[in-house]
Amino acid sequence: MHYPFWDQPIGYGVLMAVIAVFHVFVSHFAIGGGLYLVVNERLARRAGDRERLAFLEQLSKFFAMVTLVAGALTGVGIWFVIGLLAPAATEALIHNYVWGWATEWTFFVVEIAAAMLYFYGWKRLTAKAHLTLGWIYFGAAWLSLVVINGILTFMLTPGRWLETGDFWQGFFNPTYWPSLVLRTGVCVMLAGLYALLVASRLEAGDFKARTVRHAAGWAVVGLAVTALAQAWYWKAIPVAVTARALETMPTPVRAIVLSLWLAAALGAGVVALVILAPRRFGTTAALGFMALGMAWFGAFEWSRESLRKPYILVGYMYGNGAEVAQTATYQRDGFLSQITYRTGDDGADLFRHACRSCHTLDGYKALKPALAGADRAYILALIQGAHLLRGNMPPFLGTAAEAEQIADHLYQRTDHRPLAAIYPLDGLALGRRAYDLRCGKCHAIGTASDKAKSLAGQSAEDLSGLLDMAASLGEGMPAYTGDAAERKALVAYLRSLGQGGKP
Amino acid sequence: MTLPDYHFISAPLWLVTTLHLLTLSLHLAAMSCLFGGALIVLWAGVRKQWAGPDAAGFVRVLPAATAATVSLGVAPLLFLQLVYPRQVYAAAIVSGWFWLAVIGAVITAYYAFYRTSFQAHRTGQVSLGLLALAALGLLYTSLVYSSVFALAEQPDLLRALYAKDQSGWVWNPALGAYGLRWLHMVLGALTVGGFFVSVVGQKAPAMAATGRAALVGGMAATAAVGFLYLLSLDADLPIYMRTTAMPVLVVALALALAALHLHSRKRLALAGLCLFLSVFGMVYLRHVLRLVRLRGSFDLAAWRIAPQWSPFLLFLVCFILMLVVLVWMARLFFRPEPEVESQRKHQP
Repeated sequence: MHYPFWDQPIGYGVLMAVIAVFHVFVSHFAIGGGLYLVVNERLARRAGDRERLAFLEQLSKFFAMVTLVAGALTGVGIWFVIGLLAPAATEALIHNYVWGWATEWTFFVVEIAAAMLYFYGWKRLTAKAHLTLGWIYFGAAWLSLVVINGILTFMLTPGRWLETGDFWQGFFNPTYWPSLVLRTGVCVMLAGLYALLVASRLEAGDFKARTVRHAAGWAVVGLAVTALAQAWYWKAIPVAVTARALETMPTPVRAIVLSLWLAAALGAGVVALVILAPRRFGTTAALGFMALGMAWFGAFEWSRESLRKPYILVGYMYGNGAEVAQTATYQRDGFLSQITYRTGDDGADLFRHACRSCHTLDGYKALKPALAGADRAYILALIQGAHLLRGNMPPFLGTAAEAEQIADHLYQRTDHRPLAAIYPLDGLALGRRAYDLRCGKCHAIGTASDKAKSLAGQSAEDLSGLLDMAASLGEGMPAYTGDAAERKALVAYLRSLGQGGKP
Repeated sequence: MTLPDYHFISAPLWLVTTLHLLTLSLHLAAMSCLFGGALIVLWAGVRKQWAGPDAAGFVRVLPAATAATVSLGVAPLLFLQLVYPRQVYAAAIVSGWFWLAVIGAVITAYYAFYRTSFQAHRTGQVSLGLLALAALGLLYTSLVYSSVFALAEQPDLLRALYAKDQSGWVWNPALGAYGLRWLHMVLGALTVGGFFVSVVGQKAPAMAATGRAALVGGMAATAAVGFLYLLSLDADLPIYMRTTAMPVLVVALALALAALHLHSRKRLALAGLCLFLSVFGMVYLRHVLRLVRLRGSFDLAAWRIAPQWSPFLLFLVCFILMLVVLVWMARLFFRPEPEVESQRKHQP
């Protein structure tokens, strides 16, 4: 509320994900790759394996280019983007964890310096000195994960910090250890995948086959650690959070299921290709594995971020920056009184600060199509009952008059013609569209709040009567305000649901 | 349940301010070596003053200077956000796209430096085109920083700009408030860069001469622009004059002159120290000016102080360890043991 709102057309979630997923992919490789290099250098030097040393030197160049530049700077990019997208949450995190971040910075500086010296030191340093620099690099890189993991996991599971405000209780929160093991596994897995990419460019032969098998081993071991830790991580999240997610939130559940499939595909793919054709393992396959790895990691991070909903800091701050502790103030004095940067259009200002951090009008999680055909009263009811809708939305905490202002703002920007006029539909198809608009925002088919079974045996008159008394059926249920054509189609569709018809 | 209040600073203000000023000075010193050095080698290359192996050797240092600049830039930004979040984030949001594009600009510059460096290593020649691309990236970054941080000190302008446009495509129009400030920073970078070039090129007369010229000329120009910037402060100037700024300015100028003198006597380590302390003085002056400009809308003393001593202690220990490890690694790298050569012969 104390900050301007960056009203850009790309969804906040998308913008954050693009930078963050790329960064975590590179930064985890930066850790695992360091371990891979130093362990393999040690083995190669012991065995007097010149070929492998040459390969590692080549890998270290690729490693330096990727991690020192893209890795380090996209990390700074995350700093930049979270300050733009969620300044209040960033401020809260910095005030609580500035010394955590400052400590992480000391490891970051050592990591960067050691990586450069290791890269430039292949021909300049003794074997012992070079290896020592490699170990320092890996140690510093992993310790930076140890620190940042505390702040990252705090956002989902702040634990007893909510009661005490104690730095360490927030840092070593319920998901700290499983997340650390999980991310360490990811580091090892990515080291294997990147090594596979570099190895894929080697000439076919025994050395290539050996290197590919070895790198694949790293990828599979890392993946196995990650899979076990993911189960541990899930169990460490408070049941209230996971149960609600399973019940009402399609996004994290889909992301988790997707991540499991991707992990299985990646593991099976690596094992199969490496067993079948390690000598002819090509760049296309290596890039495919990289893409699978990135998709898997992206899906995991997406699920983690989505699970936090409706909060950005669970139990402390909502996704739109509203502070839980200020609820009474918002309800008494209104949202507007708390917004420092105003534009003169109160409806727009309220919409930005209450809704816009997740929803756009036309793009990501667009409201225009979601509200097409809705009347003002219905939009108002949705705003006032936002916390009851599926997807774990934050409650609207402002005054009733402010909810009306947002409703006006949205109503003026949506198409309010009857549904049948907006979409060239009739019969059950129109009924299904009406269901999605009027009912599906809570009672999505196939979810815990699916009421289709309760419609069994109901006549058209019964169902029409049900629509008439919708506002009195449950907390936050809006009154049904569709026109006659829409009502007829909706009733027909509800009847088909009651008769076991699939949507 | 009463939720914890996050509106606090977790260490005494003097400590946070000292850390901010110190780390910002280190960042600016590294950035000036990089940015100033790149501009000088570009200029010298275009004028064909020095090129070939000398320039190639210098260019090979630039990726390391970029790494130092980036990694040393994180801490001051962190401490700045800790104390001035409302100002810094607000200004960054209003210029959101320009601010975010800094990352792309620096990545481009970084890769261009690496590419130039590898090319110089391979061919012994410097690619002026790539160097110009890198310098352009840094120039953009410097402009955005000056624009955004100046905007952060003008809350009324910030509100007015936001009221008109919320898209993040707003460039600070008050060029008068930051144009000279930006120029001062660029000329300061040329000065420090000149010193850096002269140190790296000690054994190359043409390179050393170019570095020396940039050091002397840059310092004179920086002082002149700095003086003009002071005059441009208008109503803020009398208030600024009554702070600790003036004595610090005198000391910083004296240190800069001492650096020049020591440099001419080839006492480079001492000259470097004086130059760094002079940069530190300038950083302090900027800090005081920020407080003067924010008077009425922001009071530093209003922050609630609630120290977190155990995390701070952890940071302190790690900070000291960082310095020890950095020095140790540098010694290891730059002074290889005599047995390196013989051992290498026996290595695979």
